[in-house]
Amino acid sequence: MAVEIAMLHDVEKCSACRGCSVACKQWKNLPADKTPFDGDYQSHKDLSSKTYTLIRMKETMADGKVRWDFLKFQCMHCGIAGCVLGCPTNALQKEDTGIVSHNIDKCIGCGYCEINCTFGVPHVDKETKKSTKCNLCIDRVEKYIENGYDRKYMPSCAKTCTADAILFGTREEMVKIANERLAVLKEKYPDACTYNVETDNSIKGGAMMYVLPYRPSVYGLPDEPQLAPSLSVWKDKIQPAGKILMGAAVVAVAGAAVVNTVTGGSKHGGDDHE
Amino acid sequence: MEVSRRTLLKTTAAGAGLSLAGFGFNIPSVKAAVKGFKLDDAKEYTSICTFCACGCGMVGYVKEGKMINLEGDSDHIVNEGGLCSKGASMSVIPNSDSRNLTPKYRAPKSDRWVDISWDEAIDKIASKIKQVRDDNWIAQETDNGKTYNVNRCDALSFVGGAQVHNEECYLMTKMTRMLGVSFLEHQARLCHSSTVPALTAAFGRGAMTNSWQDLKNAKAILIEGSNAAENHPMSAKWIMRAKAQGAVVIHVDPRYTRTSKLADIHAQIRPGTDIAFLGAVINYILETESYDKDYLLTHTNAAVLVSKDYDFNDGLFSGYNEETHSYNKKKWAYQLDASGKPKFADLTHPDSVMMKMREFYKRYDLQTASSITGIPADDIKKIAEVMINNRPGTVMYALGMTQHTVGVQNIRSFTVMQFLLGNVGKPGSGINALRGEPNVQGSTDFAVLFNYFPGYLSTPNHKQQTLDEWTKDSGTFRRKFMVNLMKSWFGENANAENDFCYPLMPKINTNQNYSIYRIFETALEKQMKFLYIMGQNPLVTSPNLNIVQAGLEKLEMLVVADPFMTETACFWQKREGVDPVNIDTEVILLPAASFLEKEGTLINSSRLVQWRNAGLEPLGEAKPDIEIIDMLFQKIREKYSASTEEKDKIFKLANWNYPADNRSDTVLKEINGYNIKTGKLLNGIGEIQADGSTSTGCWVYAGVYANGENQTLRKDFQTDPGNFGIFPKYAWTWPGNIHILYNRASCDKNGNPYDENIKLIWWDKNAKKWTGYDIPDVPAATDGPDTANGQKPFRMSAEGIGRLFGGVYADPEAGGTLPRDVSYVTSDGPFPEFYEPVESPTKNILHENVASNPCLIYPRVKGFQEIGDKKDFPYVLCTSAVSEHWCSGAYTRNVPWLNELVKETFIEMPVALAEKLGIKNGEKVKVSSARGEIEVKAMVTNRIHTLNINGEECTVVWMPYNWGFKGLSSAASTNLLTIDAGDPNTWIQETKACLVNVVKAGA
Repeated sequence: MAVEIAMLHDVEKCSACRGCSVACKQWKNLPADKTPFDGDYQSHKDLSSKTYTLIRMKETMADGKVRWDFLKFQCMHCGIAGCVLGCPTNALQKEDTGIVSHNIDKCIGCGYCEINCTFGVPHVDKETKKSTKCNLCIDRVEKYIENGYDRKYMPSCAKTCTADAILFGTREEMVKIANERLAVLKEKYPDACTYNVETDNSIKGGAMMYVLPYRPSVYGLPDEPQLAPSLSVWKDKIQPAGKILMGAAVVAVAGAAVVNTVTGGSKHGGDDHE
Repeated sequence: MEVSRRTLLKTTAAGAGLSLAGFGFNIPSVKAAVKGFKLDDAKEYTSICTFCACGCGMVGYVKEGKMINLEGDSDHIVNEGGLCSKGASMSVIPNSDSRNLTPKYRAPKSDRWVDISWDEAIDKIASKIKQVRDDNWIAQETDNGKTYNVNRCDALSFVGGAQVHNEECYLMTKMTRMLGVSFLEHQARLCHSSTVPALTAAFGRGAMTNSWQDLKNAKAILIEGSNAAENHPMSAKWIMRAKAQGAVVIHVDPRYTRTSKLADIHAQIRPGTDIAFLGAVINYILETESYDKDYLLTHTNAAVLVSKDYDFNDGLFSGYNEETHSYNKKKWAYQLDASGKPKFADLTHPDSVMMKMREFYKRYDLQTASSITGIPADDIKKIAEVMINNRPGTVMYALGMTQHTVGVQNIRSFTVMQFLLGNVGKPGSGINALRGEPNVQGSTDFAVLFNYFPGYLSTPNHKQQTLDEWTKDSGTFRRKFMVNLMKSWFGENANAENDFCYPLMPKINTNQNYSIYRIFETALEKQMKFLYIMGQNPLVTSPNLNIVQAGLEKLEMLVVADPFMTETACFWQKREGVDPVNIDTEVILLPAASFLEKEGTLINSSRLVQWRNAGLEPLGEAKPDIEIIDMLFQKIREKYSASTEEKDKIFKLANWNYPADNRSDTVLKEINGYNIKTGKLLNGIGEIQADGSTSTGCWVYAGVYANGENQTLRKDFQTDPGNFGIFPKYAWTWPGNIHILYNRASCDKNGNPYDENIKLIWWDKNAKKWTGYDIPDVPAATDGPDTANGQKPFRMSAEGIGRLFGGVYADPEAGGTLPRDVSYVTSDGPFPEFYEPVESPTKNILHENVASNPCLIYPRVKGFQEIGDKKDFPYVLCTSAVSEHWCSGAYTRNVPWLNELVKETFIEMPVALAEKLGIKNGEKVKVSSARGEIEVKAMVTNRIHTLNINGEECTVVWMPYNWGFKGLSSAASTNLLTIDAGDPNTWIQETKACLVNVVKAGA
């Protein structure tokens, strides 16, 4: 009944105009981040509680020629999402549409989503004490489906894309396009691949998909995405105990301490990137 | 209906609903199923973006009088819902705390603004204009012993128009010409002024030939002197569509940019050497006989015989006068037959344009061009072959070509290449001048420029005392339009007996240059007293800012109308080197409504005229510029009402009456024009009469109100017969809704399309008329290929054919003494020759003694216009904009979402230079030129590499010019460094190439 949707970033077409970054902030009323100039066009080094999507811009020299690779980085809306598994209050949910939604009323800001995300996406806002991340404009997507896939209601970033690089539609359609584009790219780029299109890994793909000319690691994505190792600790030991013993808020505090102890902390800690 | 082109972008009933009801608020609301959806119950209205001239559609959402959301219009033919970072951020503007809310006054020597009322502001301005006009009126002028009536005041100046609507530009032109103003200018002078003469000299019209959507039809796209993906972001959509069909994209630019990333081939060129590169491509086409012979013979002057007086030696064409730095252009004529028509031969006749061209271009071999440009010879050859083997191919260019002392001839080179390849007039072909401000095409059409009157009519000069004398230089074809303009401006007071009031018009002096540069320079000389600026910020965007600052300090009054506080308005504020106590200029700031708060039309780069709605009340006391101009003119007229002086009678004769509740629509109708007898609106250019029985305020817009309906409101985004992206029922395109200019040239001599794939228009033998998917660009639809009119693919040139050789020619009118039409001739040569920039790092290897443009006159003002030398300033600086900010940044630097993406001025430099100077990425450096010095941060990159030029290393650096000392993001202005030497045709400055030095800050 529910339609499964997906977004596809056709990386070769991206011009890094960053319309997507601004359209996201506009729709979600997100304030600007502090981004001191450090010699790069890429202004935001990472996502933050104020920035749900950014364009990674990587300049490299290969065979005496310069190459500039762009990638739209945001929540991957994983098939099996570490953040959903890790969330003690079910604030994070994998919807039938494929979107990993976030119910702010249920969120207690414990930060387990941050720790357990394969890609380091969610960030707990220091002031509101709520986790933040892209929800693929779930409000717009509902309108989009309801109105017969009316592009007027596409997620803000996809709708605003100037270069036909961010595509959005049913998952079926996006998978088809991704594979067609892969065939074209393969002729020019031997390492070309799709990302999150196939579901034969531990995160089972995602609703944010890519078609990439080069290996995922070139764009800062794990070549083999894995559910966070901390998750097994969490699922096996802490969550059952917590659920028996106490309410969610307390779980959060105790749990975070345990996880940090067991895993040696998270490289994606909860700072706000200010 | 063509839904296939949008297989990914499904349209629905709801989408179509928006298009049908696109004008106004009566959009059927979609079913509200998402609980609390932000847009539920919001009023929707459409507008058009206010940055580059892509002309993207926007939809604003308003609740309780506040804008709550803004996004791309998904039913718009250019952007299909998309917006770049700048456009996507515009909901900030009507909610911004930084907006100007009240008129303000700064008294002489004062260090502060004081709020004043609108009445007081308008009265002060009108009084000052009257006083300056009365004190500095030039009724007559003597030249070579002869006295001329000139009706002029050279102490008043008005600047701006590219940011405002057509109706506002039109009224600005009308008001200022009534006042006798010669110094009427705007940003087009600084950005694309070289485009109009270059394209006019070749084609007859000065506009982008094709359209944004048409890019998708190209098989090759040469992007040169443009960073399209960053500065015309929506063009990327259409480039990518072409690429998806297999098109090859080439980017020739001094840097590897976000545009290069989209290209198949990138060639790094030394700034200012495009003529050498294109010369080699042209030579390669000629040498390999790869040109389109049938096209050349049918549609161009390739086989016309050139006068024996034409010559070219050692960098100079025949007719050069060393003293005046100018040419006697009569040396560049044709051989004419007894009836005064050009003599035709074939492509091998020694006097033919073709043979002259071969002779001229043979010097541009691949190796020579490589030495000059820094592009490897193999790459030039590869690019030439791509263009030869992938036709139709198109060209996209912007300020990288225009802003040079050879700007006009840069663009002329494109016209030569495209003629040779048969690449003009067809879908996917042409020369796409990417206009850079939202309505810069309109401000040019409406002649907010000293040298034109609306519709590209030459501004009357002192030697043209009568309409007949003007016609001798412009032709009877255009005289008709001048008569109609006068009828619009003077109504029934203009008649044949009084030469249609033409004698009342100001006459510029042909020996003078009234460009924006001269406004500040003449202020230094205490000639210029008053400057009014509407939506422009010269203290950021003009070159050599020292002269702008010094000029502003010498004015008696400056008026700035702008939604935001600009650097120019605040030039007197205390900062290094500036003390308000020493500045006597009175300054008045007028709060202008933003584009989202006013209605009217604007025209994009594809000549698509679109209507903007006013979906919000202006913030505070802000007013639309049209209202401000109307108030001002009425106040001035009131002040002159008692005058009986000859110079003031124009105010009584002027036709000026616009209803306060419907100004824009009324003005648009005046622009369209009327049949005066019937009172009906004209349906098109064909109805314009020469006898004074019709009026039109801008003849190229005749038909914008055809059938008594505002054609700019049309929103059919689905009907596209031929699938070329034309959408004939979407808004309206000048002239006469023709979308692809010169489309007659897509057919052979007999009127059959050259190729079925590009079948756009054709001669229908049975119906005996030209027809097709676009409106045929022919003099008369029923004049077939067997008539003279059927063989005029470039009907706006006097010859009717394309001009490879841009020579002197006046087409005689049968039975008349005055010419029918006169072709435009550039001042610096009938073919484009390469000259080095004024500040060059090397010698001119083609002709060492004629290094830079021989028609150049620079410096103009001693002490302000030093020329730097390679010894002191070893690096070449190229400047332009970043994608995230626009022009002076008056809007964009007040948007936090854009400031977080790019927040300050910086310098891109090659890794090799940074290593040599010990500069690390992000560190501060000092950049200096012969004109100034600023401190900025370094961006060390591999996207520029050191070039080998004439056997020596040459380093190019690049800086954005978008910053100044005001706004939420302030930083050093790059234009403190740039040079204001100008092209001899239009005086456009050489902001793309000057010399600088770079050192580590603190070193």
